[in-house]
Amino acid sequence: MPLINFAAREINYKIVYYGCGLCGKTTNIQFIHRKINPDARGKLVSIATEEERTLYFDFLPLTLGKVKGMQTRFHLYTVPGQSYYNASRKLVLQGVDGIIFVADSQITRLDENVESYLNLWDNLLGQGDDLSKLAFVIQMNKRDLTETFSVEDLNELLNHTDSPVVPASAVTGEGVFETLKIVCKQVIAKTA
Amino acid sequence: MPKRKGLVINDRQLDLCDDLLQKLKEVSGSTFLALISTSGQPITTASDEYHPETLSLASLAASSFAATQQLARILDENEFTLLFHEGRALNLHVTQVTEQVLLIVTFGRETQVGKVRLYTQRAVEVLRQIFEVDEDEETPAMDADFESSAGRAIDDLFQDA
Ligand SMILES: Nc1nc2c(ncn2[C@@H]2O[C@H](COP(=O)(O)OP(=O)(O)O)[C@@H](O)[C@H]2O)c(=O)[nH]1
Ligand SMILES: [Mg+2]
Repeated sequence: MPLINFAAREINYKIVYYGCGLCGKTTNIQFIHRKINPDARGKLVSIATEEERTLYFDFLPLTLGKVKGMQTRFHLYTVPGQSYYNASRKLVLQGVDGIIFVADSQITRLDENVESYLNLWDNLLGQGDDLSKLAFVIQMNKRDLTETFSVEDLNELLNHTDSPVVPASAVTGEGVFETLKIVCKQVIAKTA
Repeated sequence: MPKRKGLVINDRQLDLCDDLLQKLKEVSGSTFLALISTSGQPITTASDEYHPETLSLASLAASSFAATQQLARILDENEFTLLFHEGRALNLHVTQVTEQVLLIVTFGRETQVGKVRLYTQRAVEVLRQIFEVDEDEETPAMDADFESSAGRAIDDLFQDA
């Protein structure tokens, strides 16, 4: 549900990075913050615990600029991945327009990925969203590591919605903008 | 399947809100006011000299407010309708206007909490009417033109560095 302010000629979309703890959500946002045109980015806000894990969210507003006279913005959020933070995840999901599910490709992280994926759909159904209006992209992260599942296997496991899939390595930035690009275009198409 | 409601603000609503916020600021002696969506996006603000960073403010205030609602639920309270922080030089007051809209008011030592609360409560009743008139309306579609222009802008902005 984008916020469309016809009076102020503004439209804001909310994009959420979802996925288990340590899968690379914050790293995605930090890379975007570092590499994007500084004029297009707002302040990066992080609410973290003492161990520097995300507690509530990271938040980065991006300005696409004027499109057909409308100032168009994407507000990027991450959720905390650890299972005990589900209350915070639900808060961040309120009013979401697009989701990037970040999967950790490492073999040892299989259970965490599946748990997070199921938790996402639970929370979305719980907030009564019309899921056909929601943009959804899956990012297979940490492709630079060796002990990993193949993209095909992960796809079979986690892609029940037949959504676009982007292999990525958030530490090097590979696939980071590609993922964002796809979700942003989908968000606009779904609300058009 | 329930509908995903968008929040659409038209000219008339924004004018009414701006007028009201300006008045509320004057009568209550507050320094800065903002209407934001419960999903964390700013709608409009009123202020003189004090200009906090609105995007961060909206995102943090909305999540704090949502967190207090969850706290209420855990404590078996129906709802906390108000979030209040008292600082040394500045106080922050967040109230719910509608399901999708929150009102942020900051004020300093020049005024009293009671006064701000009283006027804010009155303003919320008026604001509620402004938003409730149109909240059921369909989200007007952004046309195909918007989609293709936005697509080009996205390609430009999110180039791999
Ligand atoms: N090798 C590798 N490490 C990554 C990648 N993405 C994130 N990491 C590391 O994984 C850890 C957790 O990342 P973080 O972004 O904080 O995870 P979050 O909990 O999802 O926000 C950090 O040490 C990152 O450097 C990646 O693509 N490859
Ligand atoms: Mg994180």
